[in-house]
Amino acid sequence: MKRFSVIAAAGLLIAGCASSPPGSGPRPQPQRAPQPNGQTQPLPPSQRPQQVPAERGGASTARQSQRQARPQQPAPPQTAAEVSSPAVMSLMGRADTLASSGHMDDAAATLERALDLEPRNPFIYQRLAAVRLAQGEAGQAEQLANKSNSVAGDNPFVEADNWELIAEARKAAGDTRGADAASTKAVNYQRSTSQYSQ
Amino acid sequence: MARQSSKKSAGRGKNARPRRSLSRRLLPYLLLIATAGAAALALYMAHLDHEVRAKFEGTRWKLPAKVYASPLELYAGLDVSQKQLVERLDRQGYRRATNIDESGTYNPNGAGLSIHTRSFQFWNGTQDDRQIRLRFDGNGVAALKAVDGEGDLALIRLDPQLIGSIYPNKGTDRILVKLGEVPPMLPAGLITVEDRHFMSNWGISPRGILRAAVADLKAGAIVQGGSTLTQQLVKNFYLDNQQTLTRKGKEALMAILLDAHYSKEEILEAYLNEVYLGQDGSRAIHGFGLASYFYFQKPVQELQPAEIALLVAMVKGPSYYDPRRHPERARARRDLVLNMFHDAGFLETDAWKQAKSRDLGVTGSAARGNTQYPAFIDLVKRQLKGQYKDADLTEEGLRVFTTLDPMVQATAEQQVAGGLDRVEKQRGIKADTLESAAVVTSIEGGNVLALVGGREQGYAGFNRALEAQRQIGSLMKPVDYLTAMTQPAKFNPITPLDDSPLAVKLATGKTWRPGNYSNRSHGDNVPTYYALEHSLNIASSRLSLAVGIPNIIDTLGKLGFQGDAPAVPSLALGSISMSPLEVAQIYNTIATGGYYTPLRAIKDVTTREGEPLSRYPLKLNQTVDPGPAYITTWMMERVARYGTGAGMYRTIDNNKDMAGKTGTTNNLRDAWFAGFGGNRLGVVWVGRDDNQPAKLTGATGALPIWSNIMADIGTRGIVDTPPDSVAEVPLQLIFDPDGVNQGAGADPGRWFAGGQSCSNAVKVPFVKGFVPQGLLSCDTDIMRVNAQQNAPAGRSNDSTRERDSEQGSWFERIF
Repeated sequence: MKRFSVIAAAGLLIAGCASSPPGSGPRPQPQRAPQPNGQTQPLPPSQRPQQVPAERGGASTARQSQRQARPQQPAPPQTAAEVSSPAVMSLMGRADTLASSGHMDDAAATLERALDLEPRNPFIYQRLAAVRLAQGEAGQAEQLANKSNSVAGDNPFVEADNWELIAEARKAAGDTRGADAASTKAVNYQRSTSQYSQ
Repeated sequence: MARQSSKKSAGRGKNARPRRSLSRRLLPYLLLIATAGAAALALYMAHLDHEVRAKFEGTRWKLPAKVYASPLELYAGLDVSQKQLVERLDRQGYRRATNIDESGTYNPNGAGLSIHTRSFQFWNGTQDDRQIRLRFDGNGVAALKAVDGEGDLALIRLDPQLIGSIYPNKGTDRILVKLGEVPPMLPAGLITVEDRHFMSNWGISPRGILRAAVADLKAGAIVQGGSTLTQQLVKNFYLDNQQTLTRKGKEALMAILLDAHYSKEEILEAYLNEVYLGQDGSRAIHGFGLASYFYFQKPVQELQPAEIALLVAMVKGPSYYDPRRHPERARARRDLVLNMFHDAGFLETDAWKQAKSRDLGVTGSAARGNTQYPAFIDLVKRQLKGQYKDADLTEEGLRVFTTLDPMVQATAEQQVAGGLDRVEKQRGIKADTLESAAVVTSIEGGNVLALVGGREQGYAGFNRALEAQRQIGSLMKPVDYLTAMTQPAKFNPITPLDDSPLAVKLATGKTWRPGNYSNRSHGDNVPTYYALEHSLNIASSRLSLAVGIPNIIDTLGKLGFQGDAPAVPSLALGSISMSPLEVAQIYNTIATGGYYTPLRAIKDVTTREGEPLSRYPLKLNQTVDPGPAYITTWMMERVARYGTGAGMYRTIDNNKDMAGKTGTTNNLRDAWFAGFGGNRLGVVWVGRDDNQPAKLTGATGALPIWSNIMADIGTRGIVDTPPDSVAEVPLQLIFDPDGVNQGAGADPGRWFAGGQSCSNAVKVPFVKGFVPQGLLSCDTDIMRVNAQQNAPAGRSNDSTRERDSEQGSWFERIF
């Protein structure tokens, strides 16, 4: 039964994790905004009068305020088709076909061909992660989903799907608490996609 | 007919009657002798027959594993020019033609290129031959479309280049072909030239034997063969190379037996696969299948009349008529053979004339078999060793699909050889005393794309890329700094480091005193990034000791180094020996952002029939946090842009961000450069085999070669995508150890006048949550200056800053 749900999850991703449902409610800012902690203490305003406190702490803060200032910022790619060449799309399509007919090794090899063409395409890593998950290789699935995150840039759509995948992988590996943590992250990223909804 | 002859013999019998009495008495003896003789002969024949059949029907040939380069993927967006692609097609034996009806042909027209690809059995099934047309623009392939009406294509693989075989020492090598798949002109030509009566004889030719016997008697020794194809096959197949009369007799008997048992077609096919056609070092080239690749880099199906004639011509004496060593001799005999083809009627006059006008067309000696990429094949063998028995590799005809990129390999070889010549000349170093090794990888995926084992190409000797264990010097520093960045509470890119003289008492009782290459100190508060940028030994040593040598060794392991590292302070400066491949592994992990991906030379192994045996899939393991890896890469980009590696931009496109590090060891023994762009990583070592000083630094010896390789293979720039765990702060990087007030100038306040609008600021990465206290956008990289600016006299709201400014550095000194 567990195995079934894993494959179903992988299938879901392979079928096209494209359209993530919009978040449930509007949130003022994405979850991944920098969290100031003990190490980063803004100076009291009096020490630097020309500075606005909100802008302390570096560029990510600046980026965040930019985002707030310009809510109509173009949304990051939600589907592979938006960033992938026709050659890569063709290989991903082939990999999907192979995966859905159970030829997981061939699907993985085909996705590796795609990676040779576009080694920093997060959607390819994501699909490879899904294939590995379907093969029961939870560890590799998580690594690949992480790798996808690392090349995704600021893309809550991709990251939400990756964390969902990681949650599945952890569940499959018997790490329920880890799975819950990943699910929470997935939900948070999902919510932060709402900033791009019209 | 039968009746007639029986009558005849009956008649003869009658006439013989008068002498019967004597013969009758002798008859039993004669019969006995005859019977005994016949019995002995029969026994011997039975023995030979068994030998002939067992060998012919058993496992006849040991087939060495075939090793293939990675296939070139053709697709719109591929950054390969028309010229480069044509070169590649030529190297793979594709034929330029006015139409592309046959596979293995191409036709360039204007900005386009039509190709009829070859069908090929890949690890995941056969890819059929297709007819495609490519259109090129300034960036490479702009469009790809199918022109054979077989459906659209988004991409297609060229058949991979056969780059070698795994054969036993002093072994034979071959590729099996079937009679039905070779051009009909090949068997027809063979018969015409070697054995005109092959189709009708009994395996031997009495006239031929007679003629040879006469010649032998005259000469008093055996000088002529007079062999049929069948006899030649027997000779190659069953017998050693001795020429004695008894052996000739045995050969003839076996030929008769072979002919009696097997069809002409079976014998001919065996001959096609058995015949000896050349030598490649210790490898004997057998059969037309392999000879076709060995001489023309193409499958036997695509051989043209002139090429067929040359191979047929060489049967008579493969070394005497070697087209590479004796092209004139070979050409004369080829033309003679073409004449015979024409006279025999299977080569039309036009085609005959055209064939005779052709060059020999053999590929250069650089493009053949194992001698072409000995270093890489060596790596492939090592990777296979653990999993396959020798016999599996040398006998079963396995197919090994590797990661070698022939274009990258060719470039690396050229640049290594050319670079050494140049640097020897420029610096007055005795010619041919320097050696080198180079490795190029794909970063993501960990594919080894090229491996150069020395300056002499095609020489299968000492494989320096794998075997040379040399001190790595400052190549170690990125590992030190990476380890430091994993302690973000203590270190970040602008943490001030003390570069003043250092003495460390060692456990051995000795004192270790690292010195800077420039023999001078750069002050006691050098920003960390600057210390790496300019490879400052003393500051780096202090950083490493504070970080902890055991922690650095731990990082080495995480990056994929599997050897032992000495736990001594000098490890920080690279007092550890590694091979260039080991260095490539370590740097590759940094380049992937902390994802250890074992370097691989092989992707798949299949059986001869194409059944998958082993797959070496992509495996990732995030062993280093992406934040520190990113920050280290950022600092290495500074090395490339402003530091010891800056010379690369004499060659590399200024718009491309590259990262790297120079390495120079004591007394200038080793010159290293290791670095990467967005999609390629390279490691180059230059030094001497006898470990004497090479009198070169990393920047003068290795960097020029590295830069040329990376530029020529079109390495992309690094795409800086900071991971989630990194915060970027725009800072003004003004530190200059020689400048007034370390670059801050007489009035440091001017750096802060612009407030938030500092157009010259650089985004400096920090691990999130560990941006130094009070550091603001547009501050400088000199913490002392920032602190002074931010803590005007009289203010004491922020006691931390005050205290820092009093000390001149916010960072508590380590020593």
